[in-house]
Amino acid sequence: MLRKLLKHEFRATGRVMLPMYLILLVTAVGSNLAGRGMLDGRSDLLRTLGVLIVMAFGIAITGVCLLAFVLMIQRFYKNLLQDEGYLMFTLPASVHQHIWSKLIVSSVWFIATVLAVIAACLVVAYQGGFLREFLDFLRYFLEGLRKLKVSEAFNGTIYLVEFAVLMFLSLVAFSLQFYAALAAGHSQANHKLLWSVVWFFGIQFALQFAGSLLIIASNNLDLFDRLYFNWDPSPTVAIHVGLLLAIGCVIVYGAIFYAITTFFLKKHLNLE
Amino acid sequence: MQWQFSNDAPIYTQLIQQVKVGIVTGAFPPGERLPSVRDLATEAGVNPNTMQRALAELERDGLVYSQRTAGRFVTEDNTMINAAKRSLAQRHVKTFLEAMLRLGFPKEEIMDLIARELGEEEANHAGT
Amino acid sequence: MPVLECKGLTKRFGRATALDEVSLTVEPGRIVGLLGPNGSGKTTLIKLANGLLTPDGGYIAVCGTAPGRESHSLVSYLPERMAIPTWMTAKQLLDFYGDFYQDFRREAAEEMLDHLGIQPRQAVKQMSKGTREKVQLIMVMSRAAKLYLLDEPIGGVDPATRDYILSTIIGNYNPEAAVVISTHLIADVEKVLDEVIFISQGRVALQSTVDGIREEKGMSVDALFREVFKC
Repeated sequence: MLRKLLKHEFRATGRVMLPMYLILLVTAVGSNLAGRGMLDGRSDLLRTLGVLIVMAFGIAITGVCLLAFVLMIQRFYKNLLQDEGYLMFTLPASVHQHIWSKLIVSSVWFIATVLAVIAACLVVAYQGGFLREFLDFLRYFLEGLRKLKVSEAFNGTIYLVEFAVLMFLSLVAFSLQFYAALAAGHSQANHKLLWSVVWFFGIQFALQFAGSLLIIASNNLDLFDRLYFNWDPSPTVAIHVGLLLAIGCVIVYGAIFYAITTFFLKKHLNLE
Repeated sequence: MQWQFSNDAPIYTQLIQQVKVGIVTGAFPPGERLPSVRDLATEAGVNPNTMQRALAELERDGLVYSQRTAGRFVTEDNTMINAAKRSLAQRHVKTFLEAMLRLGFPKEEIMDLIARELGEEEANHAGT
Repeated sequence: MPVLECKGLTKRFGRATALDEVSLTVEPGRIVGLLGPNGSGKTTLIKLANGLLTPDGGYIAVCGTAPGRESHSLVSYLPERMAIPTWMTAKQLLDFYGDFYQDFRREAAEEMLDHLGIQPRQAVKQMSKGTREKVQLIMVMSRAAKLYLLDEPIGGVDPATRDYILSTIIGNYNPEAAVVISTHLIADVEKVLDEVIFISQGRVALQSTVDGIREEKGMSVDALFREVFKC
């Protein structure tokens, strides 16, 4: 059932995102061409046109990022909490499957958008010798990597993986915070959107409050010193520990958001 | 077939009457297969169970009969159809008379009125 | 086994009691009218049967199970509002229903859409309001479900659309399934119903057969309704 939900979720979002990627590609190609003579050419008309194309590219980048974000919220809100919710919540699917389908699809679009923006920038920067230069750069980079010690290479890779995981989980938790606020706000009879905003900032405040409490507590009570048991890690290890702790925190509050979302969708669904 | 219903009688008895009228007037000819319950119900805009009940009643009366796989058929027995025709006519006459008596017409005057009306109709037909 | 069963079903919204100890059963093969004035609790009852609301007391079961994932595959639900995504084309809508419901009779739906002159590539948002409502009903009635819950299917539509909707309901009648139609427009649906359930202020005021009422009281259900709910 999750597979089917994903299929239709991609269908619903792809029709918005894919044309936007196309616009991004077109303006990127345009900017590339504009960079080859238009901008420093003699004709005023061509210069103006060149500037406009480059501006359009800038707008397209902002637009595509904004769109991925708006779509993440809009799909959850419109498809589950508005009129379409009558259709979705009477499908033979569980609330968990609904949340995961929304979560997975919006994450995929976030990542795709980052890749699309990188690709578009490469297209703009592309010149005659660009490909060769890029390959040269890669070769130097790889040679540099080869000179690294095994331990350095190993730790570096792990850092990268940890960082990527942290980024990904933050993205998921970021979406879940919006889902939780929307689901909670829409359990109210009236002023559902207003309540959602209240919930969003309420959650935000609660998290920051808990975070500062933890910091104050650790400072005052020498919490970390006690927890470390006089453990004195090397800087390399300390970075690992820090990243893993961050990942742990993101997982904890992501799980809280998820629990809030499922609770309200299961027990206090209140469609208009 | 025109299907019309009044508000004061059960729907299934009205259905029985109307299917009878259909048979008597030849909308459902003798020996012909009747449409399925679902089609008849859709056509009349009524509940299929109610239509089923009406047809079962007609079957009990003998005006229609069912063959296990082929469906329901109108009887080929003309005396039975004629009897149904008569009984429908009697009902009309009865309600007509009740209404006339309520209006205060004596029997002779009713006969007179009918005779005159029939005469006028004949004249009209001759005129055209 | 009844396809819909409630015992002492209660639902409150804040201080207001929308349903108060409602008990009723709907047997397969029946077309049942859920009748009551606006705000009497009809929609609340149907939402509870669909698991869109959680009861505060009592018990509700569809085909013997509590409303949920399992019951959703047995119930075909027509909400009182347009719930189908308007960006979808007729074909995408058929794909959607076909994917999620194993009992979806795609050929039947295609035939009914074709009968209305709807092209597969036509988007729902390009259709008129009346056509949208017909399309939504076609999707709902094209399932071979055990229970159809139709919430105000004829509210706010023109007489021709109303006739179309009612004949679609009759034309898709299945003796193993039950149909529940909620409405306050009784004169229009009366002939289509086996049974009626009167709901008044969250309570069941009466459950009887249509011909039973006509036989006993010598009046139509519509007339009786007007008498029971006289203001």
